[in-house]
Amino acid sequence: MDGIDKKILNIIQKEFPVAAEPFKVIAERVGITEDEVLERISKLKQEGIIRRIGAVFDSRKMGFVSTLCTARVPEEKLKAFVEAVNSYAGVTHNYRRNHEYNVWFTFIAPDEETLEKFLAEIRDRTGVIDIISMPAVRTFKIDASFEL
Amino acid sequence: MLHGIEKKIINLIQSDIPLAKRPFKSIGEQADLSEEKVLAIIGSLIERGIVRKFGAILRHQRAGFTRNAMVVWAAPQEKIGAAGRTLSSFREVTHCYERTPPFAGKYTLFSMVHCREGDQEVILKKLSMAAGIKDFKILTSEEEYKKSSMEYCADVK
Repeated sequence: MDGIDKKILNIIQKEFPVAAEPFKVIAERVGITEDEVLERISKLKQEGIIRRIGAVFDSRKMGFVSTLCTARVPEEKLKAFVEAVNSYAGVTHNYRRNHEYNVWFTFIAPDEETLEKFLAEIRDRTGVIDIISMPAVRTFKIDASFEL
Repeated sequence: MLHGIEKKIINLIQSDIPLAKRPFKSIGEQADLSEEKVLAIIGSLIERGIVRKFGAILRHQRAGFTRNAMVVWAAPQEKIGAAGRTLSSFREVTHCYERTPPFAGKYTLFSMVHCREGDQEVILKKLSMAAGIKDFKILTSEEEYKKSSMEYCADVK
């Protein structure tokens, strides 16, 4: 990753041009050709630095509810628990963390009732009772972009 | 509310746009819409805040941000607003929310803190000083079990 790659990454994270020829706009800003921009982005994708280029939605404005859950899962139940949780499409992030509440996952669902139903299903299926749901009551910041 | 045509576009832009000179033209071809119409719809979704961001999503670990933690802060009720705004003013803090019920009975503020190897201790000290909260807990991710994007409007083809 060189200086030009970094410039491109900073632009396409924060100000991707929603225009007919976006890569041409980027090329002009960076001072290289459109073909080179496409080549560099393609390489950054192959290297796994870029996950994807597309839209990120506000789940609430899409009419969904979301929450962060944590669970206290005994080691012997961990594998089955993670499998059960991950089987829901609405679970988008799931991590093991260094705490007695060792599993942390985000859950997006069409409404509160569905969310509660899913959590009840998970408790039923896995025998893990201690799952806490902590929805956000105030959002101060969401900006997952990284200045390079 | 969303129109049928918008749902179609949402379905096409929620993963990865084609890496081509006219990406929105090829999206239009898949949805039977002109390039102009596709651009207008995406513009409107952005303006209404339905699309929060349009652009590249990185694998931040691969981009050098290797120290990532969820940090929870024991902000008393009357300090949550000010502390949340202060934490959010730092670029290392990518996400910051007040959540309820408080974790472990007292951690009301949740933040995601991303930094480069070796920087975490200094940054957390800086955040703690600025926010005026000494009681915080670092919940380091030890294993990633899942990371994906939510699929919206998947039923609309």
